[in-house]
Amino acid sequence: MESEIVKIDQLVKRYREKLAVDHFSMEVRQGEILGLLGPNGSGKTTTINCLLSLLKYDKGNITVFGKAMRPDAYDLKGQIGVVPQNVAVIHTLTVAENIDFFCGLYIRDKKKRKQCVEEAIEMTGLGEYRKYYPKKLSGGLLRRLNIACGIAHRPKLIIFDEPTVAVDPQSRNAILEGIREMNRQGATIIYTSHYMEEVEELCSRIIIMDRGRNVAEGTTAQLKASLKNRETIRMDLVTCTDEIIRDLKEINHVYEVKQEGEQLIIRCDGGTHNLLHIMGYFEEKNIPFGRVTTELPTLNDVFLEITGKELRD
Amino acid sequence: MFCHIFLYRIKELLRNPWHLAWNLIFPLGLATAFFFGFGNLIKDDPEQFTTIPVGYVKEADQPFDQVLTALSKDRKDPILKVSEYKDEEEAKKALRDGDTKGYYIQKGEEISVVVGRNGVTSTTLHQILKEYENQKRVLETIGKKHPEKIADAVKTMEKGQEFLRPHVFNKYTSVYMNYFYSLIAMASLYGSWLATTMLSGISANMSERGKRFESAPVYKMTSLFAGILSTVLLQGIFNGILVFYIQYGLHLSFGVPIWQVLMVTTVGGAMGITIGVFIGALVKKRGLQMAFSLAVSMVTSFLSGLMWGEIRQIIESHIPVINRINPAAMLTGCLYNLGNYGLTKNFYRDLYSMVILTVTLLLVSVAILRRRNYDSL
Ligand SMILES: Nc1ncnc2c1ncn2[C@@H]1O[C@H](COP(=O)(O)OP(=O)(O)O)[C@@H](O)[C@H]1O
Ligand SMILES: [Mg+2]
Repeated sequence: MESEIVKIDQLVKRYREKLAVDHFSMEVRQGEILGLLGPNGSGKTTTINCLLSLLKYDKGNITVFGKAMRPDAYDLKGQIGVVPQNVAVIHTLTVAENIDFFCGLYIRDKKKRKQCVEEAIEMTGLGEYRKYYPKKLSGGLLRRLNIACGIAHRPKLIIFDEPTVAVDPQSRNAILEGIREMNRQGATIIYTSHYMEEVEELCSRIIIMDRGRNVAEGTTAQLKASLKNRETIRMDLVTCTDEIIRDLKEINHVYEVKQEGEQLIIRCDGGTHNLLHIMGYFEEKNIPFGRVTTELPTLNDVFLEITGKELRD
Repeated sequence: MFCHIFLYRIKELLRNPWHLAWNLIFPLGLATAFFFGFGNLIKDDPEQFTTIPVGYVKEADQPFDQVLTALSKDRKDPILKVSEYKDEEEAKKALRDGDTKGYYIQKGEEISVVVGRNGVTSTTLHQILKEYENQKRVLETIGKKHPEKIADAVKTMEKGQEFLRPHVFNKYTSVYMNYFYSLIAMASLYGSWLATTMLSGISANMSERGKRFESAPVYKMTSLFAGILSTVLLQGIFNGILVFYIQYGLHLSFGVPIWQVLMVTTVGGAMGITIGVFIGALVKKRGLQMAFSLAVSMVTSFLSGLMWGEIRQIIESHIPVINRINPAAMLTGCLYNLGNYGLTKNFYRDLYSMVILTVTLLLVSVAILRRRNYDSL
């Protein structure tokens, strides 16, 4: 049986007038990597801070490991690891000291702590930098240190808030692989991001957030299955007439035809051989066209369909 | 947990180049600059204790006459040498010519004092008058009923009196030492900035690392007190280094055993730290915290005589309440009284004021900082 690690119920958080989280609910189940996907400003960080009881909220209930999460719920806090959105380290302590300091807030036993620190250094690949001060680290390494400080105490629940922002692709892959490894070792993960590719690649379940609301949730496949859009065809076309657009819309399964510059975007709601039918039309009318691509739906399409706007900006 | 946080706080703050520069190096540098400015004046300051020549412009007999008489005879080094003048013009002239250090003048019932240069001499003259005014009622009553006993009464009065202490020490500490007292006060109050840095590191609403810190299972009181204690220790050490540097590096004497000085500067350091904690409790923006800390340090230490040594004495004779509430003036006054008069009433007044201010700010700040979650981060 899957059990709930986190349960957020009808969370509402206002910053003065600004409604940041709007009756948001979610559950996180034992052993999963839950992706919290939403554009900048959709309320992901605010939700995380409420979950950690760092922020007061206006309404709602939050339980962690089945118990009410409160600012003084130290037993719960002790089992959570946080990797905040912004790098949160101490600039006058070295890499190893930083990890040791934060780890020491959770683990009193010195021997065990030492072991944990070593493991965290190993996992984040910071071995050769252990004596470095954060200032000397590159952006990617700094992110890795930020992660190491949050996970050294081997928490059961780890929250990553956009850990790959401004990170080079190599570090990014190392980070994602590290998260998978922690998950394999038994940690439940909450992963927030506004990069859908990342979430799609990493997470076993996804919650899409927009303007503080939970607008959709499920596995990638489930989310895509709920879409009207099944295929998007893009075609370079020098001259496009209203007639062409009208004709294309007549083709079976084509539900939207849009012109963007010299590109025609055709969306289909299922069916097979859509591309063939469309190209057939152009051949028949003897209209020349350039490059043609076809895409299966992405989470961006899910977001687009639900909110009417693009996820990436 | 407490030790873990305490030790790491010390380690990280000691490596903070800004704080090393401003809390340790800068005061030492300023002390050196002061030393080259007027170090020599301190070393051979002519103001050793001697009998103070003072003028007296008298209209009618008053119990004050007896006080002056008592203070100017009956001992081997009398405190005062009183010369009477007919009118203020004459007394003024004597003061100008350097025959006296000041004069007392009767204006009806009131007696006031005019002094030349501000310094220990003038403080003594002021205090004699102040003490007289405090005891006036008693002296007047005695004067009426038992005129013969008034000399004894004056003796009793002076016994507990600190203004007679230089007589006991038989020397004064140079007025220029005041600059160094103020400097120590400034350094202590810079501790407030150190304290805001410390506080921001453990507060989720002030820094990123604070968010991480407050996500951990640490009692707020543990982190708060470990932090405060670590900065009190650091500031105490910084102050100690400054004191040692002045006394043994620059060879300028505080005039009393150094442990007494260190005790005062440690209390002063703790006061500076709690002022910072208080600022941190009220203001959450880092830039503002720093601005407030530095502004408080500069203004209060200026008023205690950092740039212009006599300002504290002038405030004392005109609006003494400012000196009672200005933390830098408390610390400066404490060291001044200690150096010139020893462990006297005024010394304890300032010392206790510092302790009371420290404890009060601490309690208020802790009450504010106790909360563990915030409206906004
Ligand atoms: N401290 C704050 N005060 C006022 N508004 C805030 C504050 N923090 C965030 N917000 C607003 O709340 C909304 C959600 O922000 P946030 O939770 O940071 O989103 P995300 O993490 O998804 O980018 C945004 O519109 C943001 O401008
Ligand atoms: Mg965010």
